[in-house]
Amino acid sequence: MVASSGDVDSFDRSIRLEVYRTIVADGDPPAAEDLAAELRVTPPEVEASLRRLADAHALVLQPGTSAIWMAAPFSAVPTPFDVSVGDRHYYANCIWDALGIPSCLHADARIDSSCPDCAEPLQLEVHDGGLQEPADGVLHFAIPAARWWEDIGAT
Amino acid sequence: MLLFRSEEHVRRWAEGRGIPLGGTLTPHQGWRLADAWFHDRLDLEWRRRTPEEAQALFASIGLTGPFWDLLG
Repeated sequence: MVASSGDVDSFDRSIRLEVYRTIVADGDPPAAEDLAAELRVTPPEVEASLRRLADAHALVLQPGTSAIWMAAPFSAVPTPFDVSVGDRHYYANCIWDALGIPSCLHADARIDSSCPDCAEPLQLEVHDGGLQEPADGVLHFAIPAARWWEDIGAT
Repeated sequence: MLLFRSEEHVRRWAEGRGIPLGGTLTPHQGWRLADAWFHDRLDLEWRRRTPEEAQALFASIGLTGPFWDLLG
């Protein structure tokens, strides 16, 4: 793919999509250098795009770096939300995002998590675009919606 | 956003940490929220929802009240 950084919006869309394509294929986000090579642009152009995408809340970068931490619903670091799609495994940022992985992939998935109170393993499964029964448990959002982006890592 | 075994486990966990109870969803509400929120995330033309659009989505699955308010 060849991308031009002349049209910022179009360029950023290409960068964002390539980030997701890499995560879906490899389980991990690409480094800026890899994105630059794939899209035939320079690493500084990619880093500037990643910062714009982070400012727009389309991605979350590791603080002080251009390394991708979250491309919701995917997490670049291990979390208590393990999502199995076929023989692939992904980490989600939270239980909402864990359910978002089968949605955005339009695929069946099994979510393995555990109760933060008692540590009992909990599973949810999505098949054919729906949640499978039994779908036990309760999702809890600790932070009011208007404050989610004050500290997205904690959210 | 975490997945608990039951409401009782949410309460015990929150009390143990001095955290106010927040918003709770059933897994089916959670799936509806996630599916509406993420189904188009891999589309090239994806764009972030406006607060008004997000608020309408929350309301469509019964998430109303101050905890879910995005518009002040």
